[in-house]
Amino acid sequence: MDLTGGFGARSGGIGPCREPIGLESLHLGDEFRQLVTTLPPENAGGSFTALLELPPTQAVELLHFTDSSSSQVAAVTGIGGENAPPLHSFGGTLAFPSNSVLMERAARFSVIATEQQNGNVSGETPTSSVPSNSSANLDRVKTEPAETDSSQRLISDSAIENQIPCPSQNNRNGKRKDFEKKVKSSTKKNKSSEENEKLPYVHVRARRGQATDSHSLAERARREKINARMKLLQELVPGCDKGTDFGGKIKIKVCFGVHLLMISGKKAVNFLWKVSCEDLIDCSFNPLGFRLTRHSLAASFTIQGTALVLDEIINHVQSLQRQVEMLSMRLAAVNPRIDFNLDTILASENGSLMDGSFNGTPMQLAWPHQAIETEQSFHHRQLPPPPTQQWPFDGLNQPVWGREEDQADGNDNSNLMAVSENVMVASANLHPNQVKMEL
Amino acid sequence: MASADKLINTDVPEKDVFALHFLRSLSNLRTQNPLNSPDKSIDRVRKIKKAAYVSMARAAGGNSRLWSRALLRRAAKDDNKSVRFSRRKRKVTWKISSKRRRSNQRAPVVEEAAERLRNLVPGGGGMETSKLMEETAHYIKCLSMQVKVMQCLVDGLSQK
Repeated sequence: MDLTGGFGARSGGIGPCREPIGLESLHLGDEFRQLVTTLPPENAGGSFTALLELPPTQAVELLHFTDSSSSQVAAVTGIGGENAPPLHSFGGTLAFPSNSVLMERAARFSVIATEQQNGNVSGETPTSSVPSNSSANLDRVKTEPAETDSSQRLISDSAIENQIPCPSQNNRNGKRKDFEKKVKSSTKKNKSSEENEKLPYVHVRARRGQATDSHSLAERARREKINARMKLLQELVPGCDKGTDFGGKIKIKVCFGVHLLMISGKKAVNFLWKVSCEDLIDCSFNPLGFRLTRHSLAASFTIQGTALVLDEIINHVQSLQRQVEMLSMRLAAVNPRIDFNLDTILASENGSLMDGSFNGTPMQLAWPHQAIETEQSFHHRQLPPPPTQQWPFDGLNQPVWGREEDQADGNDNSNLMAVSENVMVASANLHPNQVKMEL
Repeated sequence: MASADKLINTDVPEKDVFALHFLRSLSNLRTQNPLNSPDKSIDRVRKIKKAAYVSMARAAGGNSRLWSRALLRRAAKDDNKSVRFSRRKRKVTWKISSKRRRSNQRAPVVEEAAERLRNLVPGGGGMETSKLMEETAHYIKCLSMQVKVMQCLVDGLSQK
Protein backbone atom coordinates (compact mmCIF):
# COMPACT_ATOMS: atom_id res chain seq x y z
CA MET A 1 0.00 0.00 0.00
CA ASP A 2 1.22 3.36 -0.77
CA LEU A 3 -0.33 5.11 2.10
CA THR A 4 2.60 4.94 4.37
CA GLY A 5 4.31 7.98 3.08
CA GLY A 6 3.17 11.48 3.07
CA PHE A 7 0.60 11.35 5.75
CA GLY A 8 1.20 14.49 7.63
CA ALA A 9 -0.59 15.66 10.60
CA ARG A 10 -2.75 17.85 8.56
CA SER A 11 -5.88 16.27 9.65
CA GLY A 12 -4.88 16.12 13.23
CA GLY A 13 -5.97 19.59 13.92
CA ILE A 14 -9.52 19.27 12.90
CA GLY A 15 -11.60 20.30 15.75
CA PRO A 16 -15.24 19.74 16.11
CA CYS A 17 -15.84 23.38 15.42
CA ARG A 18 -15.15 22.82 11.76
CA GLU A 19 -17.66 20.15 11.50
CA PRO A 20 -20.94 22.00 11.38
CA ILE A 21 -19.65 24.61 8.99
CA GLY A 22 -18.25 22.16 6.56
CA LEU A 23 -21.16 19.83 6.62
CA GLU A 24 -23.74 22.48 6.15
CA SER A 25 -22.05 23.91 3.19
CA LEU A 26 -22.47 20.68 1.33
CA HIS A 27 -25.58 19.48 -0.27
CA LEU A 28 -26.43 16.89 2.28
CA GLY A 29 -29.61 15.13 2.82
CA ASP A 30 -31.21 14.96 6.18
CA GLU A 31 -30.56 11.30 6.38
CA PHE A 32 -26.89 11.75 6.20
CA ARG A 33 -26.89 14.51 8.76
CA GLN A 34 -28.53 12.23 11.21
CA LEU A 35 -25.93 9.65 10.56
CA VAL A 36 -23.19 12.09 11.11
CA THR A 37 -24.43 13.42 14.35
CA THR A 38 -25.56 10.22 15.94
CA LEU A 39 -22.81 7.78 15.19
CA PRO A 40 -20.14 7.84 17.79
CA PRO A 41 -16.56 8.05 16.69
CA GLU A 42 -14.82 4.77 16.73
CA ASN A 43 -11.36 6.00 17.00
CA ALA A 44 -10.85 8.53 19.68
CA GLY A 45 -7.39 9.44 18.53
CA GLY A 46 -8.24 10.43 15.01
CA SER A 47 -10.73 13.19 14.84
CA PHE A 48 -10.73 12.93 11.15
CA THR A 49 -12.12 9.49 11.14
CA ALA A 50 -14.56 10.66 13.72
CA LEU A 51 -15.79 12.98 11.07
CA LEU A 52 -15.96 10.19 8.65
CA GLU A 53 -18.12 8.08 10.89
CA LEU A 54 -16.31 5.15 9.50
CA PRO A 55 -13.78 2.81 10.84
CA PRO A 56 -10.40 3.91 9.61
CA THR A 57 -10.09 0.90 7.43
CA GLN A 58 -12.93 1.89 5.26
CA ALA A 59 -11.81 5.46 5.19
CA VAL A 60 -8.37 4.51 4.10
CA GLU A 61 -9.81 2.21 1.57
CA LEU A 62 -11.74 5.12 0.28
CA LEU A 63 -8.60 7.07 -0.05
CA HIS A 64 -6.77 4.29 -1.69
CA PHE A 65 -9.38 3.72 -4.25
CA THR A 66 -9.90 7.31 -5.11
CA ASP A 67 -6.22 7.52 -5.58
CA SER A 68 -6.14 4.68 -7.96
CA SER A 69 -9.24 6.04 -9.63
CA SER A 70 -11.65 3.31 -9.09
CA SER A 71 -15.02 3.28 -7.57
CA GLN A 72 -15.35 4.37 -4.04
CA VAL A 73 -18.50 2.42 -3.78
CA ALA A 74 -16.89 -0.87 -4.51
CA ALA A 75 -13.97 -0.07 -2.35
CA VAL A 76 -15.87 0.62 0.74
CA THR A 77 -17.92 -2.48 0.83
CA GLY A 78 -15.83 -4.98 -0.97
CA ILE A 79 -12.38 -4.84 0.32
CA GLY A 80 -12.69 -3.29 3.65
CA GLY A 81 -11.95 -6.41 5.53
CA GLU A 82 -8.72 -7.48 3.94
CA ASN A 83 -6.55 -4.63 4.81
CA ALA A 84 -7.70 -4.14 8.31
CA PRO A 85 -4.50 -5.04 10.13
CA PRO A 86 -2.00 -2.67 8.57
CA LEU A 87 -4.28 0.28 8.68
CA HIS A 88 -4.94 0.31 12.32
CA SER A 89 -1.37 1.19 12.89
CA PHE A 90 -1.85 4.56 11.36
CA GLY A 91 -3.89 5.67 14.24
CA GLY A 92 -6.42 7.14 12.03
CA THR A 93 -4.54 10.18 10.92
CA LEU A 94 -5.16 10.58 7.33
CA ALA A 95 -4.50 13.26 4.90
CA PHE A 96 -6.04 13.10 1.56
CA PRO A 97 -3.97 14.50 -1.20
CA SER A 98 -5.69 17.49 -2.54
CA ASN A 99 -5.44 17.68 -6.17
CA SER A 100 -7.91 19.35 -8.38
CA VAL A 101 -9.02 16.09 -9.90
CA LEU A 102 -10.07 14.64 -6.62
CA MET A 103 -11.87 17.74 -5.60
CA GLU A 104 -13.77 17.93 -8.78
CA ARG A 105 -14.68 14.33 -8.62
CA ALA A 106 -15.80 14.78 -5.11
CA ALA A 107 -17.90 17.72 -6.02
CA ARG A 108 -19.44 15.83 -8.80
CA PHE A 109 -20.10 12.89 -6.62
CA SER A 110 -21.77 14.92 -3.99
CA VAL A 111 -24.01 16.37 -6.58
CA ILE A 112 -24.81 13.05 -8.12
CA ALA A 113 -25.47 11.55 -4.79
CA THR A 114 -27.86 14.27 -3.85
CA GLU A 115 -29.62 13.75 -7.09
CA GLN A 116 -30.17 10.17 -6.31
CA GLN A 117 -31.26 10.94 -2.84
CA ASN A 118 -33.91 13.12 -4.18
CA GLY A 119 -35.01 10.32 -6.41
CA ASN A 120 -34.47 12.39 -9.47
CA VAL A 121 -32.21 10.65 -11.80
CA SER A 122 -33.70 11.67 -15.04
CA GLY A 123 -35.27 14.83 -16.21
CA GLU A 124 -34.09 18.08 -17.46
CA THR A 125 -34.20 20.28 -14.45
CA PRO A 126 -31.93 18.43 -12.07
CA THR A 127 -29.44 17.79 -14.78
CA SER A 128 -29.43 21.35 -15.81
CA SER A 129 -28.76 22.25 -12.27
CA VAL A 130 -25.96 19.77 -12.12
CA PRO A 131 -23.42 21.91 -13.89
CA SER A 132 -24.33 24.86 -11.79
CA ASN A 133 -24.23 22.75 -8.70
CA SER A 134 -20.94 21.29 -9.52
CA SER A 135 -19.62 24.67 -10.36
CA ALA A 136 -20.97 25.99 -7.11
CA ASN A 137 -19.41 23.12 -5.28
CA LEU A 138 -16.19 23.64 -7.02
CA ASP A 139 -16.30 27.25 -6.09
CA ARG A 140 -16.82 26.37 -2.52
CA VAL A 141 -14.12 23.85 -2.68
CA LYS A 142 -11.80 26.34 -4.17
CA THR A 143 -12.50 28.98 -1.63
CA GLU A 144 -10.58 26.85 0.80
CA PRO A 145 -7.79 25.57 -1.32
CA ALA A 146 -5.30 25.37 1.42
CA GLU A 147 -7.53 23.44 3.67
CA THR A 148 -7.35 19.88 2.75
CA ASP A 149 -9.77 19.10 5.48
CA SER A 150 -12.78 20.23 3.55
CA SER A 151 -11.71 18.29 0.54
CA GLN A 152 -11.25 15.23 2.62
CA ARG A 153 -14.62 15.75 4.10
CA LEU A 154 -16.10 16.15 0.69
CA ILE A 155 -14.62 13.00 -0.63
CA SER A 156 -15.50 10.91 2.32
CA ASP A 157 -18.92 12.38 2.79
CA SER A 158 -19.85 11.93 -0.76
CA ALA A 159 -18.57 8.42 -0.65
CA ILE A 160 -20.69 7.71 2.33
CA GLU A 161 -23.66 9.19 0.62
CA ASN A 162 -23.00 7.05 -2.34
CA GLN A 163 -23.00 3.90 -0.45
CA ILE A 164 -26.06 4.67 1.55
CA PRO A 165 -28.67 5.20 -1.07
CA CYS A 166 -27.35 2.86 -3.67
CA PRO A 167 -25.95 -0.23 -2.17
CA SER A 168 -27.02 -2.18 -5.15
CA GLN A 169 -24.32 -0.77 -7.30
CA ASN A 170 -21.49 -2.68 -5.84
CA ASN A 171 -20.82 -4.69 -8.88
CA ARG A 172 -17.48 -6.05 -9.63
CA ASN A 173 -16.77 -3.20 -11.92
CA GLY A 174 -14.22 -0.96 -10.44
CA LYS A 175 -14.94 1.60 -13.01
CA ARG A 176 -16.56 4.73 -11.79
CA LYS A 177 -17.81 5.68 -15.16
CA ASP A 178 -20.20 2.81 -15.14
CA PHE A 179 -21.72 4.13 -11.96
CA GLU A 180 -22.07 7.47 -13.51
CA LYS A 181 -23.50 5.95 -16.60
CA LYS A 182 -26.80 5.53 -14.87
CA VAL A 183 -26.91 9.17 -14.14
CA LYS A 184 -25.37 9.97 -17.42
CA SER A 185 -28.23 8.57 -19.32
CA SER A 186 -29.97 11.84 -19.02
CA THR A 187 -27.13 14.20 -18.41
CA LYS A 188 -26.17 16.50 -21.09
CA LYS A 189 -23.30 16.20 -23.38
CA ASN A 190 -21.15 18.69 -21.60
CA LYS A 191 -21.03 16.62 -18.49
CA SER A 192 -19.88 13.53 -20.24
CA SER A 193 -17.28 15.41 -22.12
CA GLU A 194 -16.05 16.76 -18.85
CA GLU A 195 -15.65 13.30 -17.48
CA ASN A 196 -13.80 12.23 -20.51
CA GLU A 197 -11.31 14.94 -20.00
CA LYS A 198 -10.81 14.38 -16.34
CA LEU A 199 -10.48 10.66 -16.03
CA PRO A 200 -7.03 9.66 -17.07
CA TYR A 201 -7.77 6.13 -18.03
CA VAL A 202 -10.75 6.60 -20.25
CA HIS A 203 -10.35 5.22 -23.66
CA VAL A 204 -12.74 5.87 -26.40
CA ARG A 205 -14.74 2.77 -26.62
CA ALA A 206 -18.26 1.59 -26.31
CA ARG A 207 -19.36 1.87 -22.78
CA ARG A 208 -21.44 -0.59 -20.88
CA GLY A 209 -25.06 -0.10 -21.41
CA GLN A 210 -24.52 2.07 -24.44
CA ALA A 211 -25.76 0.98 -27.78
CA THR A 212 -23.07 0.14 -30.21
CA ASP A 213 -25.01 0.63 -33.35
CA SER A 214 -23.65 2.78 -36.03
CA HIS A 215 -25.78 5.75 -35.19
CA SER A 216 -24.58 6.24 -31.68
CA LEU A 217 -21.04 5.52 -32.67
CA ALA A 218 -21.24 8.11 -35.35
CA GLU A 219 -22.85 10.41 -32.92
CA ARG A 220 -20.05 9.94 -30.47
CA ALA A 221 -17.43 10.42 -33.15
CA ARG A 222 -19.16 13.58 -34.13
CA ARG A 223 -19.25 14.77 -30.58
CA GLU A 224 -15.57 14.17 -30.24
CA LYS A 225 -14.90 16.08 -33.37
CA ILE A 226 -16.84 18.95 -31.98
CA ASN A 227 -14.96 18.76 -28.74
CA ALA A 228 -11.65 18.79 -30.49
CA ARG A 229 -12.59 21.88 -32.36
CA MET A 230 -13.94 23.42 -29.25
CA LYS A 231 -10.54 22.99 -27.66
CA LEU A 232 -9.02 24.69 -30.63
CA LEU A 233 -11.40 27.56 -30.25
CA GLN A 234 -10.70 27.74 -26.58
CA GLU A 235 -7.10 28.41 -27.25
CA LEU A 236 -8.01 31.19 -29.59
CA VAL A 237 -10.36 32.97 -27.33
CA PRO A 238 -8.42 34.59 -24.57
CA GLY A 239 -9.29 33.50 -21.14
CA CYS A 240 -11.01 30.31 -22.04
CA ASP A 241 -8.08 28.04 -21.63
CA LYS A 242 -7.89 28.36 -17.93
CA GLY A 243 -10.53 25.81 -17.44
CA THR A 244 -9.38 24.04 -14.37
CA ASP A 245 -6.53 26.17 -13.34
CA PHE A 246 -6.32 27.20 -9.77
CA GLY A 247 -4.89 30.54 -9.01
CA GLY A 248 -3.19 31.17 -12.27
CA LYS A 249 -1.83 34.59 -12.91
CA ILE A 250 -3.40 36.14 -15.88
CA LYS A 251 -2.44 39.29 -17.62
CA ILE A 252 -5.44 41.01 -18.87
CA LYS A 253 -5.50 44.01 -21.06
CA VAL A 254 -8.40 46.31 -21.35
CA CYS A 255 -8.90 47.22 -24.90
CA PHE A 256 -9.70 50.79 -25.87
CA GLY A 257 -12.57 51.46 -23.67
CA VAL A 258 -15.06 49.31 -25.42
CA HIS A 259 -14.75 46.17 -23.38
CA LEU A 260 -14.11 45.85 -19.78
CA LEU A 261 -12.79 42.87 -18.03
CA MET A 262 -13.79 42.19 -14.51
CA ILE A 263 -12.04 39.49 -12.69
CA SER A 264 -11.80 39.22 -9.01
CA GLY A 265 -9.66 36.74 -7.28
CA LYS A 266 -11.15 33.37 -6.63
CA LYS A 267 -14.49 34.09 -8.16
CA ALA A 268 -15.85 32.09 -10.98
CA VAL A 269 -15.94 34.19 -14.08
CA ASN A 270 -18.30 33.27 -16.77
CA PHE A 271 -18.05 35.94 -19.36
CA LEU A 272 -14.90 37.70 -20.31
CA TRP A 273 -15.49 40.50 -22.69
CA LYS A 274 -12.18 41.58 -23.84
CA VAL A 275 -9.50 41.24 -26.36
CA SER A 276 -6.25 40.47 -24.77
CA CYS A 277 -3.20 40.36 -26.90
CA GLU A 278 0.32 41.25 -26.12
CA ASP A 279 0.72 43.23 -29.29
CA LEU A 280 -2.05 45.62 -28.52
CA ILE A 281 -0.21 46.83 -25.51
CA ASP A 282 2.93 47.37 -27.42
CA CYS A 283 1.43 49.41 -30.14
CA SER A 284 0.79 52.45 -28.03
CA PHE A 285 -2.87 53.15 -27.94
CA ASN A 286 -2.36 56.01 -25.67
CA PRO A 287 -2.15 59.07 -27.87
CA LEU A 288 -5.77 58.94 -28.76
CA GLY A 289 -7.15 59.30 -25.35
CA PHE A 290 -8.06 55.71 -24.87
CA ARG A 291 -6.47 54.52 -21.80
CA LEU A 292 -5.11 51.08 -21.68
CA THR A 293 -5.01 49.55 -18.31
CA ARG A 294 -3.44 46.32 -17.40
CA HIS A 295 -4.61 44.08 -14.68
CA SER A 296 -2.62 41.20 -13.42
CA LEU A 297 -4.67 39.34 -10.99
CA ALA A 298 -4.60 35.95 -9.58
CA ALA A 299 -7.84 34.48 -10.58
CA SER A 300 -9.30 31.08 -10.60
CA PHE A 301 -11.51 30.26 -13.45
CA THR A 302 -14.13 27.75 -13.79
CA ILE A 303 -15.42 27.65 -17.24
CA GLN A 304 -17.28 24.48 -17.34
CA GLY A 305 -19.07 22.74 -19.98
CA THR A 306 -19.25 23.46 -23.60
CA ALA A 307 -22.11 25.89 -23.22
CA LEU A 308 -20.05 28.41 -21.38
CA VAL A 309 -17.15 28.03 -23.72
CA LEU A 310 -19.42 28.60 -26.65
CA ASP A 311 -20.89 31.64 -25.01
CA GLU A 312 -17.43 32.96 -24.52
CA ILE A 313 -16.61 32.38 -28.12
CA ILE A 314 -19.75 34.13 -29.22
CA ASN A 315 -18.93 37.10 -27.07
CA HIS A 316 -15.47 37.25 -28.50
CA VAL A 317 -16.72 37.23 -32.05
CA GLN A 318 -19.22 39.92 -31.24
CA SER A 319 -16.62 42.05 -29.60
CA LEU A 320 -14.31 41.74 -32.57
CA GLN A 321 -17.03 42.76 -34.94
CA ARG A 322 -17.87 45.70 -32.76
CA GLN A 323 -14.26 46.71 -32.79
CA VAL A 324 -14.19 46.64 -36.55
CA GLU A 325 -17.19 48.87 -36.62
CA MET A 326 -15.70 51.31 -34.19
CA LEU A 327 -12.44 51.45 -36.05
CA SER A 328 -14.20 52.05 -39.30
CA MET A 329 -16.02 54.94 -37.70
CA ARG A 330 -12.77 56.39 -36.57
CA LEU A 331 -11.26 55.89 -39.94
CA ALA A 332 -14.15 57.70 -41.50
CA ALA A 333 -13.53 60.58 -39.17
CA VAL A 334 -9.88 60.70 -40.12
CA ASN A 335 -10.58 60.31 -43.78
CA PRO A 336 -10.12 63.75 -45.29
CA ARG A 337 -6.45 63.53 -44.66
CA ILE A 338 -6.20 60.34 -46.62
CA ASP A 339 -7.88 61.96 -49.53
CA PHE A 340 -5.40 64.70 -49.64
CA ASN A 341 -2.44 62.40 -49.43
CA LEU A 342 -3.63 59.97 -51.96
CA ASP A 343 -4.36 62.70 -54.42
CA THR A 344 -0.90 64.04 -54.11
CA ILE A 345 0.55 60.59 -54.41
CA LEU A 346 -1.43 59.92 -57.50
CA ALA A 347 -0.49 63.18 -59.03
CA SER A 348 3.18 62.88 -58.37
CA GLU A 349 3.80 59.30 -59.16
CA ASN A 350 1.79 58.78 -62.21
CA GLY A 351 4.60 57.90 -64.48
CA SER A 352 7.16 56.42 -62.21
CA LEU A 353 5.35 53.37 -61.07
CA MET A 354 5.92 51.18 -64.05
CA ASP A 355 9.46 50.43 -63.15
CA GLY A 356 8.61 47.40 -61.19
CA SER A 357 10.70 48.17 -58.19
CA PHE A 358 10.44 50.32 -55.20
CA ASN A 359 13.96 51.57 -55.27
CA GLY A 360 13.33 54.62 -57.26
CA THR A 361 9.93 55.45 -56.00
CA PRO A 362 9.93 59.03 -54.98
CA MET A 363 8.09 59.51 -51.79
CA GLN A 364 6.89 62.98 -52.29
CA LEU A 365 4.26 62.74 -49.75
CA ALA A 366 2.97 64.68 -46.91
CA TRP A 367 3.88 61.66 -44.84
CA PRO A 368 6.16 62.07 -41.88
CA HIS A 369 9.88 62.16 -42.04
CA GLN A 370 10.22 58.44 -41.89
CA ALA A 371 9.75 58.22 -45.62
CA ILE A 372 13.35 57.37 -46.24
CA GLU A 373 13.40 54.85 -43.51
CA THR A 374 10.29 53.29 -44.84
CA GLU A 375 11.90 52.27 -48.06
CA GLN A 376 14.84 50.67 -46.41
CA SER A 377 12.91 48.93 -43.76
CA PHE A 378 10.40 47.93 -46.33
CA HIS A 379 13.11 46.13 -48.19
CA HIS A 380 14.25 44.51 -45.05
CA ARG A 381 10.79 43.34 -44.44
CA GLN A 382 10.29 42.07 -47.87
CA LEU A 383 13.27 39.83 -47.90
CA PRO A 384 11.30 36.91 -46.55
CA PRO A 385 8.12 37.38 -48.49
CA PRO A 386 5.02 35.86 -47.04
CA PRO A 387 4.45 32.60 -48.76
CA THR A 388 0.77 32.91 -49.18
CA GLN A 389 0.81 36.09 -51.12
CA GLN A 390 2.65 37.02 -54.22
CA TRP A 391 4.31 40.28 -53.62
CA PRO A 392 4.14 42.64 -56.54
CA PHE A 393 7.83 43.17 -56.66
CA ASP A 394 8.25 42.73 -60.30
CA GLY A 395 4.75 42.80 -61.38
CA LEU A 396 3.66 46.30 -60.77
CA ASN A 397 2.33 46.47 -64.23
CA GLN A 398 -0.11 43.71 -63.71
CA PRO A 399 -2.25 42.88 -60.78
CA VAL A 400 -0.85 39.78 -59.22
CA TRP A 401 -3.66 38.78 -56.98
CA GLY A 402 -4.99 36.21 -59.30
CA ARG A 403 -7.96 35.25 -57.29
CA GLU A 404 -9.67 38.53 -57.51
CA GLU A 405 -10.16 41.45 -59.74
CA ASP A 406 -9.60 41.19 -63.38
CA GLN A 407 -7.33 43.49 -65.25
CA ALA A 408 -9.91 45.82 -66.48
CA ASP A 409 -8.28 48.84 -65.03
CA GLY A 410 -4.79 48.29 -66.22
CA ASN A 411 -2.83 51.38 -65.50
CA ASP A 412 -5.10 52.69 -62.86
CA ASN A 413 -4.94 49.46 -61.04
CA SER A 414 -1.21 49.41 -60.88
CA ASN A 415 -1.19 52.98 -59.78
CA LEU A 416 -3.52 52.17 -57.02
CA MET A 417 -1.54 49.18 -56.02
CA ALA A 418 1.63 51.13 -55.79
CA VAL A 419 -0.12 53.90 -54.01
CA SER A 420 -1.61 51.56 -51.54
CA GLU A 421 1.68 49.88 -51.00
CA ASN A 422 3.34 53.15 -50.35
CA VAL A 423 0.65 54.13 -48.01
CA MET A 424 0.83 50.85 -46.27
CA VAL A 425 4.55 50.98 -46.06
CA ALA A 426 4.51 54.38 -44.56
CA SER A 427 1.76 53.72 -42.15
CA ALA A 428 2.98 50.33 -41.15
CA ASN A 429 6.43 51.57 -40.56
CA LEU A 430 5.29 54.24 -38.27
CA HIS A 431 5.18 51.42 -35.82
CA PRO A 432 8.15 49.39 -36.79
CA ASN A 433 8.12 47.39 -33.64
CA GLN A 434 4.95 45.52 -34.06
CA VAL A 435 5.46 45.01 -37.74
CA LYS A 436 8.66 43.21 -37.10
CA MET A 437 7.05 41.34 -34.35
CA GLU A 438 4.41 40.11 -36.66
CA LEU A 439 7.00 38.73 -38.96
CA MET B 1 0.67 31.87 -37.43
CA ALA B 2 0.93 28.25 -36.54
CA SER B 3 -2.21 26.25 -36.47
CA ALA B 4 -3.04 24.74 -33.20
CA ASP B 5 -4.09 21.40 -34.51
CA LYS B 6 -2.47 19.40 -37.23
CA LEU B 7 -5.72 18.05 -38.50
CA ILE B 8 -7.54 21.33 -38.51
CA ASN B 9 -5.73 23.88 -40.53
CA THR B 10 -6.44 27.42 -39.48
CA ASP B 11 -3.54 29.27 -40.92
CA VAL B 12 -3.99 32.90 -41.58
CA PRO B 13 -1.76 35.07 -43.72
CA GLU B 14 0.47 37.71 -42.27
CA LYS B 15 -0.55 41.13 -41.24
CA ASP B 16 0.88 42.71 -44.36
CA VAL B 17 -1.54 40.93 -46.57
CA PHE B 18 -4.45 42.26 -44.66
CA ALA B 19 -3.00 45.73 -44.64
CA LEU B 20 -2.45 45.63 -48.33
CA HIS B 21 -5.93 44.58 -49.16
CA PHE B 22 -7.48 47.04 -46.84
CA LEU B 23 -5.52 49.95 -48.14
CA ARG B 24 -6.28 48.98 -51.65
CA SER B 25 -9.95 48.95 -50.94
CA LEU B 26 -9.68 52.27 -49.16
CA SER B 27 -7.96 53.85 -52.08
CA ASN B 28 -10.60 52.38 -54.32
CA LEU B 29 -13.13 54.11 -52.20
CA ARG B 30 -11.28 57.38 -52.61
CA THR B 31 -11.22 57.15 -56.34
CA GLN B 32 -14.84 56.22 -56.48
CA ASN B 33 -15.88 59.36 -54.69
CA PRO B 34 -13.20 61.90 -55.26
CA LEU B 35 -15.19 64.80 -53.95
CA ASN B 36 -17.12 63.12 -51.26
CA SER B 37 -19.06 65.56 -49.22
CA PRO B 38 -18.40 64.94 -45.59
CA ASP B 39 -21.95 65.44 -44.41
CA LYS B 40 -22.99 61.92 -45.13
CA SER B 41 -20.66 60.40 -42.70
CA ILE B 42 -22.86 57.45 -41.99
CA ASP B 43 -22.64 56.30 -45.54
CA ARG B 44 -18.93 56.65 -45.45
CA VAL B 45 -18.72 54.64 -42.29
CA ARG B 46 -20.79 51.95 -43.81
CA LYS B 47 -18.67 51.89 -46.92
CA ILE B 48 -15.50 51.70 -44.95
CA LYS B 49 -16.86 48.92 -42.85
CA LYS B 50 -17.92 46.99 -45.85
CA ALA B 51 -14.56 47.58 -47.48
CA ALA B 52 -12.91 46.32 -44.34
CA TYR B 53 -14.88 43.11 -44.34
CA VAL B 54 -14.42 42.51 -48.01
CA SER B 55 -10.74 43.12 -47.89
CA MET B 56 -10.46 40.85 -44.92
CA ALA B 57 -12.30 38.12 -46.75
CA ARG B 58 -10.00 38.49 -49.71
CA ALA B 59 -6.89 38.53 -47.66
CA ALA B 60 -7.94 35.55 -45.69
CA GLY B 61 -8.35 33.29 -48.59
CA GLY B 62 -10.81 34.42 -51.15
CA ASN B 63 -12.81 31.39 -52.02
CA SER B 64 -11.09 28.82 -49.95
CA ARG B 65 -13.02 29.43 -46.79
CA LEU B 66 -16.74 29.18 -46.42
CA TRP B 67 -17.17 32.33 -44.43
CA SER B 68 -15.14 34.40 -46.79
CA ARG B 69 -17.12 33.14 -49.72
CA ALA B 70 -20.34 33.96 -47.99
CA LEU B 71 -19.09 37.41 -47.11
CA LEU B 72 -18.01 38.16 -50.62
CA ARG B 73 -21.18 36.82 -52.06
CA ARG B 74 -23.22 38.93 -49.71
CA ALA B 75 -21.22 42.01 -50.60
CA ALA B 76 -21.41 41.31 -54.30
CA LYS B 77 -25.12 40.91 -54.11
CA ASP B 78 -25.61 44.34 -52.66
CA ASP B 79 -23.19 46.23 -54.75
CA ASN B 80 -22.25 44.67 -57.98
CA LYS B 81 -19.79 47.19 -59.14
CA SER B 82 -17.18 47.34 -56.52
CA VAL B 83 -16.97 43.74 -55.47
CA ARG B 84 -15.80 41.09 -57.86
CA PHE B 85 -16.93 37.66 -56.95
CA SER B 86 -16.50 34.63 -59.09
CA ARG B 87 -18.84 31.80 -58.54
CA ARG B 88 -17.53 28.34 -58.41
CA LYS B 89 -19.46 25.23 -59.17
CA ARG B 90 -21.96 24.46 -56.55
CA LYS B 91 -21.10 21.33 -54.72
CA VAL B 92 -23.72 18.93 -53.64
CA THR B 93 -25.32 20.28 -50.56
CA TRP B 94 -28.17 17.94 -50.06
CA LYS B 95 -26.23 16.16 -47.36
CA ILE B 96 -26.75 19.07 -45.08
CA SER B 97 -30.48 18.84 -45.30
CA SER B 98 -30.47 15.18 -44.41
CA LYS B 99 -28.33 15.92 -41.41
CA ARG B 100 -30.64 18.65 -40.37
CA ARG B 101 -33.48 16.25 -40.13
CA ARG B 102 -31.73 14.51 -37.33
CA SER B 103 -30.74 17.70 -35.70
CA ASN B 104 -33.11 17.19 -32.84
CA GLN B 105 -30.91 14.48 -31.55
CA ARG B 106 -27.90 16.68 -31.29
CA ALA B 107 -26.93 17.91 -27.91
CA PRO B 108 -29.33 20.79 -27.40
CA VAL B 109 -26.94 22.76 -25.26
CA VAL B 110 -24.37 22.88 -27.97
CA GLU B 111 -26.90 23.43 -30.66
CA GLU B 112 -28.46 26.55 -29.26
CA ALA B 113 -25.07 28.13 -28.86
CA ALA B 114 -24.17 26.98 -32.33
CA GLU B 115 -27.30 28.66 -33.60
CA ARG B 116 -26.18 31.97 -32.19
CA LEU B 117 -22.77 31.43 -33.67
CA ARG B 118 -24.32 30.77 -37.03
CA ASN B 119 -25.98 34.12 -36.93
CA LEU B 120 -22.69 35.80 -36.23
CA VAL B 121 -20.32 34.08 -38.56
CA PRO B 122 -21.06 34.76 -42.19
CA GLY B 123 -22.13 31.73 -44.11
CA GLY B 124 -22.85 29.77 -41.03
CA GLY B 125 -26.34 28.83 -41.95
CA GLY B 126 -25.47 25.89 -44.10
CA MET B 127 -22.77 24.36 -42.04
CA GLU B 128 -22.70 21.56 -39.63
CA THR B 129 -21.58 22.23 -36.12
CA SER B 130 -18.10 20.84 -36.38
CA LYS B 131 -17.48 22.65 -39.61
CA LEU B 132 -18.92 25.74 -38.06
CA MET B 133 -16.38 25.62 -35.29
CA GLU B 134 -13.53 25.35 -37.73
CA GLU B 135 -14.80 28.31 -39.66
CA THR B 136 -15.27 30.26 -36.49
CA ALA B 137 -11.70 29.65 -35.49
CA HIS B 138 -10.40 30.95 -38.78
CA TYR B 139 -12.84 33.82 -38.71
CA ILE B 140 -11.72 34.87 -35.26
CA LYS B 141 -8.10 34.85 -36.34
CA CYS B 142 -8.81 36.92 -39.41
CA LEU B 143 -10.97 39.34 -37.53
CA SER B 144 -8.30 39.97 -34.95
CA MET B 145 -5.75 40.54 -37.69
CA GLN B 146 -8.02 43.00 -39.38
CA VAL B 147 -8.62 44.81 -36.14
CA LYS B 148 -4.89 45.12 -35.61
CA VAL B 149 -4.34 46.48 -39.07
CA MET B 150 -7.10 49.02 -38.77
CA GLN B 151 -5.91 50.06 -35.39
CA CYS B 152 -2.42 50.67 -36.65
CA LEU B 153 -3.76 52.63 -39.54
CA VAL B 154 -5.89 54.81 -37.37
CA ASP B 155 -3.04 55.38 -34.99
CA GLY B 156 -0.71 56.28 -37.78
CA LEU B 157 -3.06 58.66 -39.42
CA SER B 158 -4.09 60.48 -36.34
CA GLN B 159 -0.67 60.87 -34.90
CA LYS B 160 -0.10 64.11 -36.67
